[in-house]
Amino acid sequence: MANPSGPLVGYRVLDLGGPLSLHCTKLIADMGADVIKIEPPSGDESRRVPPFKDDTPHPEKSLYFLHFNTNKRSITLDVEKPDGREILLELCKKVDVVIETQRPSRAQELRLTYRDLSAVNPALIVASITPFGQSGPWRDYKANDMAGIALGNLLYLAGEPGEPPLQPPGEIAYGMASTYGAFGIAVALYHRLESGKGQHIDVSMHECAGHIAGYFIPNFGYTGEKPARASRKGEETDLYDPYKTKNGYARIFIIPIEQWRRLVDWMGNPPSISGPEFEKMAYRRKHPDIVVGAIAEFCARHTKEELYEQGQKRRIAVTPINTAGEFIEMEQTKARELFVDMEHSVIGKYKQFGVVPRLMETPGAIYRPAPLLGQHNKEIYTGDLGMSNDDLVALRAEGVI
Amino acid sequence: MSQLPLEGIRVMELTTGAAGPTVARVLCEFGAEVIRCETRLRGDGHRGEDPKLWNKKPDFMKLQRGKKSFTVNMQTPRGRELVKELVKKSDVLVENFGLGILEKWGLDWPDLQLINPRIILIRVKGMGCTGPHAADLTYGPNVGNTMATTYLWNYPGATTATAEPRTQHPDFMGGVTGAFGVVLALIQRKKTGRGQWIDSAQQEIGASLLGPKYLEYNVNKREPQPEGNRSLVAAPYGPYQCKGNDRWCVIAVYNEDEWQRFAALLEKFGLKRDPKFATHFQRMRHKEALDKWVTSWTIQHDPHDVMELVQGVDVCAAVVQDVEDQFKNDKQYAATGFLVHMNEPEAGDMVTENVPMRLSLTPGKVRGLAPLMGEHTHEIAKTLLGLSEDEIRKLDEEKALY
Repeated sequence: MANPSGPLVGYRVLDLGGPLSLHCTKLIADMGADVIKIEPPSGDESRRVPPFKDDTPHPEKSLYFLHFNTNKRSITLDVEKPDGREILLELCKKVDVVIETQRPSRAQELRLTYRDLSAVNPALIVASITPFGQSGPWRDYKANDMAGIALGNLLYLAGEPGEPPLQPPGEIAYGMASTYGAFGIAVALYHRLESGKGQHIDVSMHECAGHIAGYFIPNFGYTGEKPARASRKGEETDLYDPYKTKNGYARIFIIPIEQWRRLVDWMGNPPSISGPEFEKMAYRRKHPDIVVGAIAEFCARHTKEELYEQGQKRRIAVTPINTAGEFIEMEQTKARELFVDMEHSVIGKYKQFGVVPRLMETPGAIYRPAPLLGQHNKEIYTGDLGMSNDDLVALRAEGVI
Repeated sequence: MSQLPLEGIRVMELTTGAAGPTVARVLCEFGAEVIRCETRLRGDGHRGEDPKLWNKKPDFMKLQRGKKSFTVNMQTPRGRELVKELVKKSDVLVENFGLGILEKWGLDWPDLQLINPRIILIRVKGMGCTGPHAADLTYGPNVGNTMATTYLWNYPGATTATAEPRTQHPDFMGGVTGAFGVVLALIQRKKTGRGQWIDSAQQEIGASLLGPKYLEYNVNKREPQPEGNRSLVAAPYGPYQCKGNDRWCVIAVYNEDEWQRFAALLEKFGLKRDPKFATHFQRMRHKEALDKWVTSWTIQHDPHDVMELVQGVDVCAAVVQDVEDQFKNDKQYAATGFLVHMNEPEAGDMVTENVPMRLSLTPGKVRGLAPLMGEHTHEIAKTLLGLSEDEIRKLDEEKALY
């Protein structure tokens, strides 16, 4: 099996986090850091998240867990037990970064705050990625991904009028908080190279979610304009909604005037939209029935792949609305070898999503699939911490590992 | 005052749109000096077509705050030379033009290495820099299309193309992920003294969150379908309709303790607990009846009250906020100062989002206003490029610094 590679090779990280930081620890692990995932003896909660291989719920068959835990090593440890806490502090002395997602009041109860952890290792960088950050009146409130998206004004916009607001796929509030966390860790490591000092990184999912919806906050602040619920019309273009094709849908996104001209030319200059007045977006917006009608009629005569290939050749921003499988089978995805071959002792051989972003000189790598529960107990407890086999038996009997 | 961690790092920006500018903006917030190259020949998509509005666009302000604006005409040989001079004195170059533009300007990776071996280049592209579709023209809303976000963001069994709203989250997430890559390259450069280039594909970054969906296809050989607001591990779960016009509050109950506290809260308001909701298994089986039961309570209350009451019994709840709520009703944003007011010279009062993360030793911050078109051209020409007043005037007349 291949070895870790990337700019973070040599750094060690403890992953104490829940679902909120999964993408963060993955970004860090895929860039070469040795990430030790600390799971409660009953297993990380993400092991219980569907989908499962063959739809069989099993701690080693969660495809959700499988995706987000590549390259990590797993040890079991109950950090809420006194012996567990002591072992955790021992580990803190040997690592560069700790990532945690406890609510602030709970971290205090457990005496696992930044202050507690950095007391044993002042150079330690601790990233706390939590729903609302470490301060403010909501700091101890609970929030999942959908709650983050709801407060971030993204849920409100999605869905059909009269229907419930609709969550996006892919847990993007968790994703944005995790991405900021990874960026913060990189910045803190860079700073530490010169200063030698560790620090505390406080990421608020709630504030991260405030960044993803778009330009609504600055727009409202300036003009008082509120986007309509369930609006799918862009203000940058009049052609926002996807068009039906012979086999599914495609989106055509036009901003500059050249693209409009190319589109009309491609369509064979239909008289209904070829007049110079249609080159102005404001005019097109006033006549959506004519414009959208003509384009819909054109798209219905082609497959989405034809529109994509021919449209892009003509320098028009056309994209097909793909399923997951169609994305995986796309020529572009294959040419870039985005999915890599992996083998997992329970899942078997499969294709795993690769590394982002791509550093060309020191690229990261997926070199190990997600760990089994406690797979690395022995090598870490007896190897790194110098415990005896008898210690392991005793800790196991106590329910600590 | 504490020093920002990226102070001393100079970032050149040759960008349009949002994803590229976001990379540089995030670096700027942590101390980098960002020089945004642009031209008066045409405002970019966010400055807009109308020169009278160039300095008054709230979306532009969000993307460009804290940066410097250097106007340069890349269609002139002199303009390109000046940019190369600046690259010599910079650490990072961010670009997100269509594939081929940088090459045309003589700023391709091999050229850049000759100009400055320490430079880090990040190329932000919808589909990445290699492969048959590397040159695709894509905007933020296109990026979710190919990777299945658009398809999957829908109600179960939907007959429409998508319920995706007009958002472009891959632009913003791609920007922060790109900035992560740049700082990693800076860490690497400390060891080797050499820069490198980064191929940052927005599509791949957005797709990286959909890994479990792709595994459904790769492992279970099944095409994942839109799931709407479904959860198999929490019930109640989802947005529940509240009092008012189209008002909703998300509630999510994950375990037995939470359920007991939540049900007891509703009982306090006179609701009767149905025995068929006794266990998680039963609640999942009777999800529709359960949702009706919860809605019979939420519909009587303002969503903000629902959130406070449910959080009061330590259960996840969140108002489905619109942007006005974010300004007027979000107590957390108010307390942490998330909405930052700035006074722009031409536009007046503007509001932008604060850095959503605090580093205890080296906190980032919104470092200033968005630059006016060409605001720093003269300063940069004089101090960084060492040009005389006469030379600057001449370049201005030639429309090279334009």
